[in-house]
Amino acid sequence: MSDLDHAISLLRSCKPIPEPAVRELCYKARELLIEESNVQLVDAPVTICGDIHGQFHDLMELFRVGGDVPETNYLFMGDFVDRGFYSLESFLLLLSLKITTVYGFYDECLRKYGSANVWRYCCEVFDYLALGVNNGAVLCVHGGLSPLVDSVDKIRLLDRKQEVPHEGAMCDLLWSDPDEIDGWGLSPRGAGFLFGADIVKHFNHLNNLTLIARAHQLVMEGFKEMFDSSIVTVWSAPNYCYRCGNVAAILELGEERNGRRYRVFEAAPQDSRGMPAKKPVADYFLVRVYSTVWAVGHLLLTFSSNIMFRG
Amino acid sequence: MSDLQRSFQKSKLARFPLEPPMPLNSHLGALDEVDDEEDQDGLGGEENDVDSRMDTPSSPCSSASSTSTIRPLFARPEPRKKASLEPLPWSRYFSSSLHLLHEPTSAIFHAYLTSPTNNGPLFVMHHGAGSSGLSFALLASEIRKILPAAGALSFDSRGHGETRTPNDEDLSLPTLSQDFVTVLELVKEKCGWGKMPDLVLVGHSLGGAVVADVAMGGKLGGSVLGYVVLDVVEGSAIDALQSMQTYLSTRPSGFTSLSQGIEWHTRSRTIRNPTSARISVPALLLLTDTTQPESSDDSSPPRPWRWRTDLAKTQPFWQGWFVGLSKKFLEARGGKLLILAGTDRLDRELIIGQMQGKYQLVVLPEVGHFLHEDAPGKTAGSLVEFYKRNDRSALVLPPKVSDMYK
Repeated sequence: MSDLDHAISLLRSCKPIPEPAVRELCYKARELLIEESNVQLVDAPVTICGDIHGQFHDLMELFRVGGDVPETNYLFMGDFVDRGFYSLESFLLLLSLKITTVYGFYDECLRKYGSANVWRYCCEVFDYLALGVNNGAVLCVHGGLSPLVDSVDKIRLLDRKQEVPHEGAMCDLLWSDPDEIDGWGLSPRGAGFLFGADIVKHFNHLNNLTLIARAHQLVMEGFKEMFDSSIVTVWSAPNYCYRCGNVAAILELGEERNGRRYRVFEAAPQDSRGMPAKKPVADYFLVRVYSTVWAVGHLLLTFSSNIMFRG
Repeated sequence: MSDLQRSFQKSKLARFPLEPPMPLNSHLGALDEVDDEEDQDGLGGEENDVDSRMDTPSSPCSSASSTSTIRPLFARPEPRKKASLEPLPWSRYFSSSLHLLHEPTSAIFHAYLTSPTNNGPLFVMHHGAGSSGLSFALLASEIRKILPAAGALSFDSRGHGETRTPNDEDLSLPTLSQDFVTVLELVKEKCGWGKMPDLVLVGHSLGGAVVADVAMGGKLGGSVLGYVVLDVVEGSAIDALQSMQTYLSTRPSGFTSLSQGIEWHTRSRTIRNPTSARISVPALLLLTDTTQPESSDDSSPPRPWRWRTDLAKTQPFWQGWFVGLSKKFLEARGGKLLILAGTDRLDRELIIGQMQGKYQLVVLPEVGHFLHEDAPGKTAGSLVEFYKRNDRSALVLPPKVSDMYK
């Protein structure tokens, strides 16, 4: 893994890595991700993050505010690239961190059996374990709900290993937005739907969820709870596009049913980009009680070896 | 920008026919040699323009390739057969050309119209400053290829084309917006429509500012399903105004013939699709009296074809066209679509609006500012898809929770 460590140290200083290293990294990441189910169970404590959009220095700021990998388990809800100046570095860094945190168990299986088959068998079992626990859980998804999906189980049946289609359940999960309407509405984005409070509450009730955490929409205040706190939007790219003037947030879900905590942070200071700055004062918002987190999406990264063992 | 939009564009691209083979001589040298040759024969890069070939099956480029013969590798290339620069008539693209008298002001608005059929929508188009109603000719016919029931109305705005008003100099935004509504009402009356058809408003450049203003004004009421702004963003438009007079001063003041005007528009890549230039450019030029030679240099040929619209004179209105455009675009009622050429250069308000999901953004690659002329097929595809999505008569939403338990 020394190559990977080298890649990580280059990427952490926002330097591109050689093409063969990119190729190997992506191949390895794909190998790991392909074994993950559509709905991945993640144990709390975990820190939920929204869109990053290639703002590398702000991602470093996020790690500084939220704690480094692997000390903190992170779950990123997508949109790693586009518009920022360092999409490639940000995405590859997240991928390589993902690999290091999951690799331990994979490596062990490989060492003891000489092939990855045992690792794959175990991954399948984790899926079933995940089915058992879902009381008071949190569902994490990039966009939102779909009229074609009324249960978490239905999400499991989708084939996510494809380009996102123009319409259908997967497109909706990635594109829909909550809105102050009754029922479903047309999304002005040109894809996906708008969905109202009744839809969210009904879905949460049916699936024993207490919260849907999602990203996808820029929130000037970094996060926004809606519909009696049954859904939250988390946005993690501060001063989006280096000019929107918004703050960013991450959501920490506690281990011992001790609640949600939002940490709000600003863009990394211009003059200290890439250099450690003094610790900012983070705002804390304590709310309610959660333990289990469901992660949905075709590009979610969960950084935790725990997910492999605990289920 | 989203993966979805990209994959959508990609899948659409895949449906276009393969490019016809390039003429032999453009296969030979490196790119810069091709450029040299273009300078010599004075022909714009039309043969290199993927979009013009994809979107205009009748384009002369496609026949050029089939007539080229194999020549020895190092032989001096024969002069390429020049593509036609002759004007093309409007009547291929619209079913009628109307001169509409507005009695209260005695203004005569000139409009091109193809009426919608079978409750189809009417796409109402407003061109940009210095352009004309024929700028949308190819787009209108491409829309009807995909959606035959659709109608298209494109008119020459005040001070442009064949429209004549008592005050052609007043190009203020409120006047242009009022004209837009007036023209629609005159057409409705002339065609005897009992009620206004479903409308999709489409504006290019200055026209985009007009349709956003019209949508915000609400005078057309519930007939407006949505509005589309083509390649204009408040922030970048206002930034560009500083250099506008400089740009205008670099344009030729006149042309020896209509064909030369068409040639200039394609060679300067102002309009990259030669077929569209042949349709739209003639309406931009007026034949003037040539007995007074403008230049003392007797060797230069007379250039009697002058610009119909003196854009430099419209400067007092420029700020007023664009200030507040983003806000109006985001806040007016109806579906919203923004199509940009090349790259996204959204201003702060539009970026926030886009990332909050308030409108649809499409970025067309490899087109110039006149994206609806350069890539009429792709633009029409986006417009028809936008219409279908916003067509309330066809809209069936999933049931509300409260309805499911009745």
